Amino acid sequence: MAATVAEALAVTDELALPLRAVGDLAAAAGVSREEVVVITQCASLGGKLPFDDASVGSVLAVIKKVENLGDLFITEISRVLKAGGMVLIQSSPSDQDPNNSIQRKLLLGGFVDVQASAASSQDSEHSVTIKAKKVSWSLGSSFPLKKATKGLPKIQIDDDSELIDEDSLLTEDDLKKPELPVVGDCEVGATRKACKNCTCGRAEAEEKVEKLNLTSEQINNPQSACGNCGLGDAFRCGTCPYRGLPAFKPGEKIALPGNFLAADM
Amino acid sequence: MAATPAADSRLLVIYASETGNAMDAAERVGRQAERGGCPAVDVLPMDSFDPSCLPSERFVVFVVSTTGQGDPPDSMKGFWRYLLKKNLGARWLEGVRYAVFGLGDSGYQKYNFAAKKLDKRLLHLGAEPIIQVGLGDDQHPSGYEGALDPWLLSLWESLNQTTPSLLPRMYDIINPDLSVLGDAKVEVIYHSSDEAQQDSNLLDFKNLIQRARSMSPSLQFYNNDKEPHYMLQMVSNRCLTKENSDRDVRHFELENPSSGITYQVGDALEILPSQSPSAVDSFIERCKLDPDCYITVRAKDRVKISKGSLLKDRIKLKTFVALTMDVASASPRRYFFEVMSFFATAEHEKEKLQYFASPEGRDDLYQYNQKEGRTILEVLDDFPSVQMPFEWLVQLTPPLKKRAFSISSSPLAKPNQIHLTVSIVSWRTPFKRMRRGLCSSWLAGLNPNEENLIPCWVHHGSLPPPHPSTPLILIGPGTGCAPFCAFVAERAAQSTSEATAPILFFFGCRNQENDFLYKDFWYAHAHDQGVLSSKNGGGFFVAFSRDQPQKVYVQHRIREQSARVWNLLKSGAAIYIAGSSTKMPADVTAALEEVICQETGCSEEEASIWLRKLERNGKFHTETWS
Repeated sequence: MAATVAEALAVTDELALPLRAVGDLAAAAGVSREEVVVITQCASLGGKLPFDDASVGSVLAVIKKVENLGDLFITEISRVLKAGGMVLIQSSPSDQDPNNSIQRKLLLGGFVDVQASAASSQDSEHSVTIKAKKVSWSLGSSFPLKKATKGLPKIQIDDDSELIDEDSLLTEDDLKKPELPVVGDCEVGATRKACKNCTCGRAEAEEKVEKLNLTSEQINNPQSACGNCGLGDAFRCGTCPYRGLPAFKPGEKIALPGNFLAADM
Repeated sequence: MAATPAADSRLLVIYASETGNAMDAAERVGRQAERGGCPAVDVLPMDSFDPSCLPSERFVVFVVSTTGQGDPPDSMKGFWRYLLKKNLGARWLEGVRYAVFGLGDSGYQKYNFAAKKLDKRLLHLGAEPIIQVGLGDDQHPSGYEGALDPWLLSLWESLNQTTPSLLPRMYDIINPDLSVLGDAKVEVIYHSSDEAQQDSNLLDFKNLIQRARSMSPSLQFYNNDKEPHYMLQMVSNRCLTKENSDRDVRHFELENPSSGITYQVGDALEILPSQSPSAVDSFIERCKLDPDCYITVRAKDRVKISKGSLLKDRIKLKTFVALTMDVASASPRRYFFEVMSFFATAEHEKEKLQYFASPEGRDDLYQYNQKEGRTILEVLDDFPSVQMPFEWLVQLTPPLKKRAFSISSSPLAKPNQIHLTVSIVSWRTPFKRMRRGLCSSWLAGLNPNEENLIPCWVHHGSLPPPHPSTPLILIGPGTGCAPFCAFVAERAAQSTSEATAPILFFFGCRNQENDFLYKDFWYAHAHDQGVLSSKNGGGFFVAFSRDQPQKVYVQHRIREQSARVWNLLKSGAAIYIAGSSTKMPADVTAALEEVICQETGCSEEEASIWLRKLERNGKFHTETWS
């Protein structure tokens, strides 16, 4: 036989291939069983398949001895497959984990979409089937590479999933700063100072207050018309010249605190 | 817990306080409810209430503070974590009616977050709000009380209308009878001199602190470490700023004279300040107390204990005042003036005190008391006719609190030493009176060459120590650089034995000449193979805000170093911010978002979300103070 084109190819290192396996491949490849080309004892081929490049639609490899599934053989399967062609590899595990090694060989051979599944087998042996696909472009084709976006690195939040995110409880209104009440009255001496472009007359009134300086006479011989100046700050009015000083008796000298006359630098 | 009255006739007030303001507000809620005829009122700290019992309550008022970082107070964390469980259904709190009042400061970025989140979460769990959430703001001209007064009125009106059996006497709340004063919650037992003579040994000072502060009822709310972890000796007191500068920043070095100190970088040292002996004496004299008598102080709701225990627990009155009652620094609260009005014998003083305690006088009280930083001693001196019983003074005088400072030394670099970087607090009040911070001024006045044992506690701060392999981006202007002195010193010590990741540090101050703190330290580590060296991938950048006509702050430096910041961030860096709470954290966060947008091309919202994820992942830490 010297076929150079086939819709489906089944190869095995055994003397014979079960009809069920041929049926599996035919169903997967969407062809009838009569169109499947079968090659037995493929080890004797020395790693070569008698097909042209990109001439086979799909390949089924039923390999008993994993050693026969070498990198060279994987490369040969890739050569004869058409672009986008499918490959199925069935093998009986003789070691602990043949899946990984076969999958790795397929990946290194340029196959994509590598999947493994435990085959439904009526034989006494347990076998695995690995399905893969040849890349969908032909040799020599090209396409432009897209520049990778500089995205934000992903932050892995090891969150306690039992709790809700408390930040989600806040709304836009909660994040706004509150409006402080405007001091409606223009009472001089209140906390707020007059605006720089004052038009209500508060600035002039404030200047008057600042000019209320204590004279030595006021300190040495304090008097009070209202009678409250000597009682302490709790009783003094807003414009009292003695505000900030300790309580005193009328007529007696006020004992100033030690730091009162320090410079206001 | 004792037999609980029927939940339908009980008003439960739960508070989570950080500095005591929420506790004060919660107690006021309780007093007004009792005045209004509520059959049963309980005021509890949040960490002593089992949240799984919440569905069986019918009327609950929450009063919560917010820390500077927007976090709930420590006493709220357990309760809050329980409420965030996903398996609590949307009808878990059905039948519960609640109200939330938050105490916050709009100067901070996360204004009243704890109260807002709590209000939303309770609503989602099926509870019914009695009234809208109230938000107190320290920036208000009247402080948080500016919002509390109308909120309370609204609360009582709503309860009186919907459940008159719970609150039958609305009139007594609006027009309180100030001639009737309830009992003090504190009991003072005086011991005869015969009993006192049996125990005249000089006690260890550390043990004395523990006994006095364990006895004080107003201190029970705070953390339970009454005995100091260490009594540290100050061995260095050095000015970091120029002598004539308007700011005074000191470097203190404290040592343990007996054994070692255990702490890690990022920890905070709490210090119990010492009050001026003359102030304590003036207080005792003003209140006509006997400084040498022996007393036992306890809350009245405690179970009676045996006479023998009383003998063991007694303490000298002067010692108790000096160690537990802040008579010369903290301002009294509003209730202090209300109780004073009851004991005032001069008519003009009684009228003024009643005015201060009323809603009409709230603003004037705020101006006279809080804005001016009045002390207990000054208030008592201004009202000489008031003679309050000692138990009321114990109950109402602000407790002497510990102050927390970020530790600025590394235990690897300086074993057996703790360094602090402290700005000495002083300011002028609106009436031009000079006020000073109690603890910082006391520390600044200590002489390292004399024996001066300082009671200290070590606690975890807001900045967890980073792993040596984590790159760091540190932003610490002013005294915010204190914890980062520790970070840099620690990593420099680690780099001698293992590979360490680089550090970018952004420092800011006003003038290079006056207040460039630790200038030589930073430059030493930025040279050659130091951990801040650019050869190692690190960097040290300074912003002097007043050395040129235009302002230059740390956020400007961050923007300038955009590529470096991003290279570190994408390699897994952690961000630490420390300093003033007003604008710096928000500006720095905005600058970081700008860096991320510029380097990756993403939107501002994506950058903001990414930073929040970084924060939730434990890689973005902020420690600020007002």
